[in-house]
Amino acid sequence: MSISRGVPKRRSSSMTSRARLARWALSGPPLAFLAVFFLIPTLIMGLASFGWPGQEGGLSPLWYHDAAGWHFDLTLGNYRDIFTLKLFLALYLRSLGYALATTVCCLVGAYPLALVIARARARYRNLLLLLVIVPFWSNFLIRIYAWMIILGPQAALSRGVNAVLGLFGFGPTSLLFSPFAVLMGLVYVSLPFMILPLYANLEKHDPALLEAARDLGASAWACFWRVTFPLAVPGVIAGATLVFIPALGAFAVPDILGGTRGIMIGNVIEMEFLQARDWPFGAALSIMLTFLALGATGLAAWAARRGVKAYG
Amino acid sequence: MARRLAMVVAAGLVAFLVAGLVRANGVLHLYNWNNYIAPQTLARFETVCRCRVAYDTYGSNEELLARLAAGATGYDILVPTGNAVQSLIRAGRLLPLDKRKLPNLANIDPTYLNGFYDPGNVYSVPYAYTITLLGYNVEKMRELGIPTDTWAALFDPRYLKRLRGRVTVLDDPRELLAAALKYLGYSANDTDPSHWQRAAEVIINAKPYWAAFNNTSYIRLMASGDVWLAQGYSNDFFQAGREAERAGEPFTIAFNVPKEGAVLAVDNMVVPKGAPRPDLAYQFIDFMLEGRNASELTNLIGSGNPNRAALPFIRPAIAANRAIFPDHAVLGRLEELHELDRGQRRFLNRLWLEIKLH
Repeated sequence: MSISRGVPKRRSSSMTSRARLARWALSGPPLAFLAVFFLIPTLIMGLASFGWPGQEGGLSPLWYHDAAGWHFDLTLGNYRDIFTLKLFLALYLRSLGYALATTVCCLVGAYPLALVIARARARYRNLLLLLVIVPFWSNFLIRIYAWMIILGPQAALSRGVNAVLGLFGFGPTSLLFSPFAVLMGLVYVSLPFMILPLYANLEKHDPALLEAARDLGASAWACFWRVTFPLAVPGVIAGATLVFIPALGAFAVPDILGGTRGIMIGNVIEMEFLQARDWPFGAALSIMLTFLALGATGLAAWAARRGVKAYG
Repeated sequence: MARRLAMVVAAGLVAFLVAGLVRANGVLHLYNWNNYIAPQTLARFETVCRCRVAYDTYGSNEELLARLAAGATGYDILVPTGNAVQSLIRAGRLLPLDKRKLPNLANIDPTYLNGFYDPGNVYSVPYAYTITLLGYNVEKMRELGIPTDTWAALFDPRYLKRLRGRVTVLDDPRELLAAALKYLGYSANDTDPSHWQRAAEVIINAKPYWAAFNNTSYIRLMASGDVWLAQGYSNDFFQAGREAERAGEPFTIAFNVPKEGAVLAVDNMVVPKGAPRPDLAYQFIDFMLEGRNASELTNLIGSGNPNRAALPFIRPAIAANRAIFPDHAVLGRLEELHELDRGQRRFLNRLWLEIKLH
């Protein structure tokens, strides 16, 4: 949004046909990719969410044709169940809670780190960035399984925590297979997605602004709160979106680290498709999840526009 | 250097071609449970049929059915449990078998023929069976004074108080619900919603005492002495017992069919419609019906064996175990699970979520 303001507006009518062709040639393939692999599957899913489960699993036909003509066999029941059964509302709320907590933890953890990297001397900066990216070199699942060992009952961390709890007269607790383990895993996998946009933003800040603020008598805190942070808001919003949306639909992390106490909506969708073979209800659950993610993106876009208006 | 390389490549090619000739008969695609055929049996079949066996595995009937429902094809043999056979027959996915091509079918004990899911065995041939029962650490149970012949040990807080954190149950809605229904005196196939609700309450009350819901790791946890009581499969407890013995542990592991009754799961060989090589599938089924070939799985994992011709090859200690080879008295207490309809599946899944989230 802030970028489009800087670019002089051009009317497509004034574009030469070659330029138009070039634009379509460039944007066409990714658009086609999104249409084939995102839009169409989402529409199919949306349609399926109004169906009945097949007798032996899968989907019962949504429409059929007989002597009397065409018949549609659709229902709103899947959505009615989601909105009326406390079970599913609680699951969405729980997933939203996890995603929100993950975003906040990532922000708190990533901001100082991104600031340190952005303010580091130029020749260390790339090295520090590389270190942020290094974990991506090993497989996602392997890194999550590693947390299983770190949080396991035999590991130093659990024994240390339980020793401290014992001092205060509490019984031993299990770190693994708990909401804490899920949050830990989500924060761990999401952290780089918060650090990188924040760094990209902070790195562009003009040091002269901070010098000016200090010259005018601002304290270090005032410098941060009234100069650095407002300028960083677009980076915060970009990072929060990148963290929040994948965390909302997380499935592997709660599956491996959560046990029965850390179930999220992603696990329930998997259960509907595999264990219960109930495709329409699974489809309805994931359509609701898509709407939640779209809502979050819309909120972020709105906040970004306001942020640009307020400080831009 | 280049010449040596060329020679190595040529030798490799020759070896590849020879291997190809030996297995010129193509590939049999077998979709089976994990670790559910003895390696020597598989190797022998490959020699006999001069073909290669592509062995793909699943961990539950739900996984098998979900994969087929999602359109997986290309398999020649599946080995589903009775209720899954029922679902596959209803969905019209199986090939009727030509019995003339299966002379060894006569080896199967009639007790295991004509299951509720396939009267007349039109589509299915019994392969092996397991019983879902209680496995326990003999010394610990004796020490704590806990009865081992009743589901109460798994569900009654009176006993569970002494076992806190040392118990696991199966992570399978049907199996756990069946055990709770049996404990309450209902049939494992009872589908009355109010009975299911009562069973769910029994499970929720017992859950705080359980260490985990799991389907595989209880074998290791029992063999190491970390878990003292578990709901699980007879062949898994057999393996846990053998592992504990090999490790020289000072305890023994045993398993019992509770007096209230338990679930019997008969796994069957079936051929899906559209199998690329039905000829190899027939050859495989008849091969597995030979006594010696059938016996090797039982000797390996302690599974029940419906094949009478296999008995002479089975180790006596296994053949004498009534929790692996049930006699008529035990068989009378066993029930096979019937497939649920779509409404029941939906209800059960929500009940299960409630149990998990409680």
